[in-house]
Amino acid sequence: MIEVEALTKRYGKFTAVSGLSFAVKPGEVLGLVGPNGAGKTSTLRCLAGIIPMSSGTVRIACNSLEADPVAAKRALAFFPDEPRLFDYLTVRQHLAFVARIYGVAGYDDLAAKLLAELELTEKADVLPGELSRGMKQKLVIACGLLHSPKVLFFDEPLTGLDPLGIRRMKDSIIRRAREGAAIVLSSHLLHLLQEVCTHVLILKKGAKVAGGTLADVETQFSNGEANVSLEEIFIRATGGSET
Amino acid sequence: MLGALLYLRLTSLRNLLIFRLRRLKQPKYLVGAVVAGLYLYFFFFRRTAMMVSRGVPAPAVQSAQGIAVIFLCVAVTVPAVLRIAYAWIAPPENPGLRFTEAEIAFLFPAPFTRKSLIHFRLLSSQIAILFTSLLLVLFFRRFSLTGNSRLLVAVGWWVVLSTFDLHLNGTNLMLSRMKDTGSRYVLVRLAAVAAIVLYAAAIVVSAGAYINAHPDVLSGPAGMDAGLRGLAASNPLHWILLPFRIVFGPYFANGARDFWVAMVPALGLLALHYYWVSSTQARFEEGSIALAEKRAATRAAALRGDLPRMGGSAPKPLKGPFPLPPEGLPEIAFLWKNVLSMRSTLLTKATVIRSVLVIVFLSISLKPLLAVHARASGGDVYGPIIAMFCGIFAAYTLLLGPQVARQDLRNDLPSMDLLKTYPLEGWRLALGELLAPTAILTLILWVCIIVCSFAIDSSGSIEWLTPGVRVATALSLALAAPVFCFLQLIVPNTVMVIMPGWYQSSRSRGGGIELMGQRMILGLGQLLVAALVAAPATLAAMLIIFSAHLWIGVGPAIVVAALVVLTILGGEAAVGLWWLGERFGKFDLSSESR
Repeated sequence: MIEVEALTKRYGKFTAVSGLSFAVKPGEVLGLVGPNGAGKTSTLRCLAGIIPMSSGTVRIACNSLEADPVAAKRALAFFPDEPRLFDYLTVRQHLAFVARIYGVAGYDDLAAKLLAELELTEKADVLPGELSRGMKQKLVIACGLLHSPKVLFFDEPLTGLDPLGIRRMKDSIIRRAREGAAIVLSSHLLHLLQEVCTHVLILKKGAKVAGGTLADVETQFSNGEANVSLEEIFIRATGGSET
Repeated sequence: MLGALLYLRLTSLRNLLIFRLRRLKQPKYLVGAVVAGLYLYFFFFRRTAMMVSRGVPAPAVQSAQGIAVIFLCVAVTVPAVLRIAYAWIAPPENPGLRFTEAEIAFLFPAPFTRKSLIHFRLLSSQIAILFTSLLLVLFFRRFSLTGNSRLLVAVGWWVVLSTFDLHLNGTNLMLSRMKDTGSRYVLVRLAAVAAIVLYAAAIVVSAGAYINAHPDVLSGPAGMDAGLRGLAASNPLHWILLPFRIVFGPYFANGARDFWVAMVPALGLLALHYYWVSSTQARFEEGSIALAEKRAATRAAALRGDLPRMGGSAPKPLKGPFPLPPEGLPEIAFLWKNVLSMRSTLLTKATVIRSVLVIVFLSISLKPLLAVHARASGGDVYGPIIAMFCGIFAAYTLLLGPQVARQDLRNDLPSMDLLKTYPLEGWRLALGELLAPTAILTLILWVCIIVCSFAIDSSGSIEWLTPGVRVATALSLALAAPVFCFLQLIVPNTVMVIMPGWYQSSRSRGGGIELMGQRMILGLGQLLVAALVAAPATLAAMLIIFSAHLWIGVGPAIVVAALVVLTILGGEAAVGLWWLGERFGKFDLSSESR
C-alpha cells in the first residue's frame, strides 16, 4: 500500500531525510519515532505530497507520487498535528467542500455518520472559531476520512487531546487499520506506539536506525535482557541524544 | 515601576534595532532598506532642501501651505474626537486600558497597584507620542505657518497628542468604573452622547451662519486661508472651539514668546486630564484583557491577510453562496469557499450597505453643488465628474483591488499543507482559488463601466461617441475586465509562491524601513507587470481600431479589437496560470524558515 524507496529530502545543504526505504501493508500501523529534528515530519510531508522529495520513489496504493500525484493523493489522507481549518466555513460546510474536491457522491449519509461518530452533530453549523481544539481535531479527521482513504498519515495525532479524546483517537486508528488501511503515524509518545503500532521505524538525523515489528526492534536492542521497555529501546537506538 | 518600564522599553528597542540591523545581511532586507531610504531622502529631505534653497515661497504658496496645515489639524482632530465620541456611543462590553498580552501576563500578577498600572500605560504611550511628534515635525516641516523652531513645533504636537491620549484613557476608565458600579451607566452615556451631538451641532450652525454672512470665505486658496482664520476667530465659534484652541495654541503660536504664553493653559488642561485619569478608581483589568485579546486576534488576522471585521464582532455562520453538490468541477468548490469567506470579511452586509449609502449620499450631495457650477459655466459637469470618479475607482480596483481581495491562495497560506494533499493538478487548484476575487473585482468593474458609459458625455456633445460606439466600448471593456483582473491576481499569488519571504512583508504593517522598501518594490513590480501584460493587447487594439475604423466604422472596429485583446490576454492568463500551478506544486514553505 505504501512503498518508499531511498527517500531523501534536502533543504539546501541540509539533509533532513536520507535514503529512507520501507513499506506499509494494508492493516499495518507504522510508528515513526526519533528525537527532535530526526526528520519525522519531513518524511510524513514528503509521503503526503505536501513537499517535493529531493530524490527517491514513493508509491501510494500502487500510484507513484511523482508520476501521478493526483491518483496517489486520491488514496491518502494527512492529519497534521495542528488542525488547520477554514475560518468562515461551518463544520458541515467543511465536509461539503471536501466532498466536492474528492467527488464523494452521496456524501450526506457518510458525513452524518462521521459527525455522529466523532460527536460533532450538535456543532455541525458552527464555525471553527467556536470549537475547542479537540473538536477542531475531530473535524480534521472527519474531513480526512470522508473520501474513505486507503492510506492515512498522522503527525502527532494526540497533541492537544483530552484523555477521552486520546482513547478515542487510539481506537479510531486501530479500527481503520483493521478495516484495511495502511497507516503511518509520527509521535514522541512511546506508549501510543506500544498500544497502536504493529511496526516501528526509528529515525535519527534523517536516517533509519532501526525498523520492523515491535518484537523485532525489541530483540535488536534488548541485548538479551528480558522486559526491556520501549523507552529504554528508544534511548539505546538513538544513543540517548538528539545529535 | 518607572525603572521597570524604562528597562522594558529600552531593552526591547535595543533588541529590535539589533535584530533589524542583523537581518540587513539578507539581500531582500538590504534592498528594501536602500529603496525606502532613497525614497524618504528624496521625498522628505531633498525636496525640502530644494525648497529652502529657492528662498521664501510666494504668498499663494504660503497660503496653500496654511490651508494644508489647517486641514492637517482637522485631520488629526476629527478622528480623535470621533474616537472619543465612539467610546461613549458604543463602548466595548468591558471598557479597559490598552496593554499588550505580554504586559498583561507579566504586570497584572506583579505586586503593582492599579494606579501604577495606569502610570505604566501613560508612560508607555508617551514613548509612542514623542516618536509620533518627531515624525510629524519631520514629515510636515515643509508646511511651516509660524516659522517656529522644530523643537517648539514638536512640543506643540506633543501637547495635542498627549491631551487626546489622556482624554481617551480617562473616558475608558470612567466608563469602566460606571459599568462596574452599574449606577446610571446608560443615563450618563446618553447624556454624554447628547452633549457631543449638541456641541457638534453648535459648531456646524455657527460655521454655517458665518459662511452665509461671508460667502467669499471659501473662494480660492488665497482667500481661504484668511477666511478659515476669520471663521475660527468669529463669535460664538471662538468660544465653542476654546478647548481645541487651548490644545492647539502652542502649535499655532507665533514665535517663542507666544508659544510659552500658549503653553500655560495647554499644560493646565493637560494637568487636569492627568488628575482625572490618575484619580479615577476603576477596575479596568477585565476590559484590558479583552482588548488585548481582540488586538492580538486582529493582528493575527492581518498576518493571514484578512481585513479587520467591521465592529470587530465575531463572525457568524453564513449560508453558502450557491448549492455545492459533490459532483462537478472541484474548482467551483474553491469559488464557493472563497465567496463565503469574502462575505464574512470583505463584503459583510454592513460594509455593503455602508458603501452604497456613502455613494448615494455623495452622488446626491454633489449634484446641487455641481448644478451651481454648471449654471455658471453653461455646461453639464455632473455626468463627466461621475464618469471621472468611476474611471478612477475602476483604475484603483484594477491596480489595488488584487491587494485587498486576498481570498485566494494568499489567504490559504496557513492551510497550504492541506491544499497540497488535495488530488488536483496545481493549475486547477490555482484556478479555483483565483475565481472568487476575480468575480468580485469584475463585478465592481462592470458597475463602473456601466455607470461610466451612461455618465460620460451625457449631454451628447462628442460627435463620434454615438450610442453604438458607447455600447461597443462598454461591452469590449466588460469582456476584457475578468481576464485582466485574473492576470492581476496571478501576479501577487505567484510572488507568494516563488518569494514567500518578500510576500510576507505585504501582509503586515510596520516592520521598519526595510519592509517598507519591500512593499514599495512589490507595489512597483505589480504596476510594471500590469503594464507589460497590458502592453501587447493595448498596442494591438490601437492598431486595429486606427486601421479598421475607416472601413468598418468605429463600433465594429472596437469589437474586432476587443476579440484580439481577449485572445492575447487569455493566452497570457493561461500561461500565467500554468506557471503558477507548476510553482505551487514545488512550493515548500518549510524551506523558507531554514
